[in-house]
Amino acid sequence: MAGINDIFKVLSRDIPRDTERLIGGVAGSYELLYELANSLADTNRSKIPMVNWVTVVWVMAASASMTLAAVHGLVWLRRRSAVESLLFCLVAIGTAGMAVCELWMMNAKTAEEFGLALKWFAVPLWLMTIAMVGFIHFYLGSDRAWLGWAVCGLRTVALLLNFVASPNVYYSSIEGLRSMSFLGTEVTVVDGMPNPLMLFGQLSLLLLAAYVLDATLSGYRRGEQRRALSVGSSMVFFVLALSLQTMLVLWNVIDAPVVASLFFLGIVATMGAELSNDLLRAAKLAEGLQLRERELQAEREVTDAIFKSAPGIIFLEDEVGHIVRWSAPGENGGGTPSGDRLAALLFRASDVGQLKQARREAFELGRHEFELDLKGRGETPARYFFRTVRVSFDGQPHIIGVGIDVNALRQLAFEAARQKEELAHLTSFASLSELSSSLAHELNQPLAIILTNAQAAQRLIAQGSPDIGELREILADIVSADIRAADVIKRLRSILQHGDPLLEPVDPAELIAQVLRLAKTDLEAAGVSVSVRHPRRLPEALADRVPVEQVFLNLIKNAIEAMEENGTKPRQLSMVCGVERNALRFSIRDNGCGLPEDSEKIFEAFRTTKSNGLGLGLTICQTIIKAHGGKLHAERNKSRGATFHFTLPLAK
Amino acid sequence: MSSTITKGPVYLVDDEPALLKALTRLLKAEGFDVKAFGSARDFLGASLSEGPGCVVLDESMPEMSGSELQQRLRSERRGLAVVFLTGNGDIPMSVRAIKAGAVDFLTKPVKDEELIEAIRQALTKAAEMVRERSEIEALEFRLASLTEREREVMLEVVKGLPNKQIAGNLGIVEQTVKVHRSRVMHKMAAESLAELVLFAEKLSIANGRGREVEMARPLMKRV
Repeated sequence: MAGINDIFKVLSRDIPRDTERLIGGVAGSYELLYELANSLADTNRSKIPMVNWVTVVWVMAASASMTLAAVHGLVWLRRRSAVESLLFCLVAIGTAGMAVCELWMMNAKTAEEFGLALKWFAVPLWLMTIAMVGFIHFYLGSDRAWLGWAVCGLRTVALLLNFVASPNVYYSSIEGLRSMSFLGTEVTVVDGMPNPLMLFGQLSLLLLAAYVLDATLSGYRRGEQRRALSVGSSMVFFVLALSLQTMLVLWNVIDAPVVASLFFLGIVATMGAELSNDLLRAAKLAEGLQLRERELQAEREVTDAIFKSAPGIIFLEDEVGHIVRWSAPGENGGGTPSGDRLAALLFRASDVGQLKQARREAFELGRHEFELDLKGRGETPARYFFRTVRVSFDGQPHIIGVGIDVNALRQLAFEAARQKEELAHLTSFASLSELSSSLAHELNQPLAIILTNAQAAQRLIAQGSPDIGELREILADIVSADIRAADVIKRLRSILQHGDPLLEPVDPAELIAQVLRLAKTDLEAAGVSVSVRHPRRLPEALADRVPVEQVFLNLIKNAIEAMEENGTKPRQLSMVCGVERNALRFSIRDNGCGLPEDSEKIFEAFRTTKSNGLGLGLTICQTIIKAHGGKLHAERNKSRGATFHFTLPLAK
Repeated sequence: MSSTITKGPVYLVDDEPALLKALTRLLKAEGFDVKAFGSARDFLGASLSEGPGCVVLDESMPEMSGSELQQRLRSERRGLAVVFLTGNGDIPMSVRAIKAGAVDFLTKPVKDEELIEAIRQALTKAAEMVRERSEIEALEFRLASLTEREREVMLEVVKGLPNKQIAGNLGIVEQTVKVHRSRVMHKMAAESLAELVLFAEKLSIANGRGREVEMARPLMKRV
């Protein structure tokens, strides 16, 4: 009974409308019982005060039974499959009816009235017995169904006899009524001859006890120990106690009113508590299910998201080749059970045999990797890298495969490598001019010191009678500044000559093309038009690519600078390559400001005609070309500008 | 050579000690009063004599660069002319320096004549700056001795207006203008109207904006 509130809670959450009806019904039945009790009390107002223990206890028993009946009746209404709830409801109704009849008997004024009450008492008893057999059958289950049928049959026989016999099946004659004190109340009991026919009924009760016991034992054996023990044993106890009490009273062995309904109330309470537990369990189960449902939903969403947003092909396939689920970029197959489109996609693979082989191996090996050329919607075939894993899905072996377009990735990697290479070139190009600038600064200081000291000395000498000590100091300072400058040069050498040149065969046409790519921005910015001339077939040169590119870039840069003062005159750069004896000869010609008179001196270090240069560029170029076994020289053009020539050895 | 009229000290500021030493030798041989400093901070911290002088500055120095020091000198000490002597100067840098008032912008290594010539020019300029500065201060002092009305009259006078019109403009009688005018000439120690106009120009009050006498207060700022 403690579970009633919980049941209300559970029920009211789902069905507030039904709950209203239920409460209305329960209140109605209370009212009815109250009125009945009142009217009964009214008839005997002189004898029994209206409120006494008997009235209270029996009315309460009836009410409690009706409440439980209402609750479980409602459960059955909501869920027709819950037959045990309906049966329990009937048991409870029967119990209430019995309680009412007993109260009637205890308040009977005449023998006829008592007889009538006892006659009607058999009806709820019949209902209850039948319902209880049913309940036991459904709830615990019995190996001996005939026992149940026997109980029902005997009870029905007893009911029929009850309405045939006079005054009822219990007494062959009622001799008189008398009062006795029961629970502090004057109640009516009867003196009469017991009717032997009532043995049918009592036998039915004993059989019921046996049936319950049997069902309890079989339930116990089936492993429903708790249920069998609590319901079964209490029912056996109450049925036996009830049978005993009724028999003793009816056979006039003890002097007491019939209180069967109280025993049944005990049974009803046990059954009710058990059913309530079941209901609670069910409610908890339902809650758990809801939670699980939500989790499943979330999981499904995650899976959906994975399928929908997969950056490549993803599929789940069974052993016979049916694709359960798949998705591919641009072809939304997510959620569609048919994998026809993916199959089409896969079968457009260039090599179907390879695909079949890959599939078979995927199932056999459990884990497999393969590559396939696939044709997507666009007609360019894409190379896919697949990785498959064997999984168990729905109890069947499946493979999950993920495929990514490796073409795109490889393209990216290639692009990155190319850019990196280009960047390396550009940095070395930049670093040369940066190096020049920092060298200029580092060399400037010692040069300034030397010059200033020398000039100070000149002035001291010019003034006549110079201080020899001071002159000595000045010379010492000049020497140390000179050493400092030499150190800077030494450092420059070590930077430029790290390692021997890495000579390899180089395609000269390709080399020129690469150099022009690197210098493109500078050339375009300066508005220089470039022409390249060389025979179609050229032998390969033996060169260390990067430094030779530096030579080219440096010469191009010089040419650009030489053409800066051309004004509106077009700026033209031509690059010519050809074979000359055992070497390749490269010529870079501009139409800029040309060369100074002493043009052979331009290769000397620190000689420059430029305002912001250090005069190292050509020196370095010459060093590089010499290291290759080539020659670098310059000549004035007949018309305007200068041409720089250098040679590189042939690869063979 | 050492007989050249070179007034005022030469301050060398460079973070390269060897060069500082060499420059000191060279300039001392030339008869300059040379003081060398290893950093801008040292220079600013030293107590120097007032009066004209020349600062030979390196641009790239740790902590405070040459041009930063130039800015400081401009706002704190007038009468010091700046010559840059730098290792890796470019054109924009030199333009900035000259615009900020440097006399010359030389790059290392520098020929001795060039450097000495630049220093001479700088010292001349510094002396001029000091002289001009004291002249203006004197003029300011004289201007301060004028009454409000006298200043008004002076403003009108230097615009070249006749007395009659001045009287009209200021709402006074011509006779009073004459009196004020002669007082202004006397107080400003101007011997002629032309000289008064020159003074006013120097005080930068003669450019037509001088209606408010207070405008004469900030006076001219010539580098």
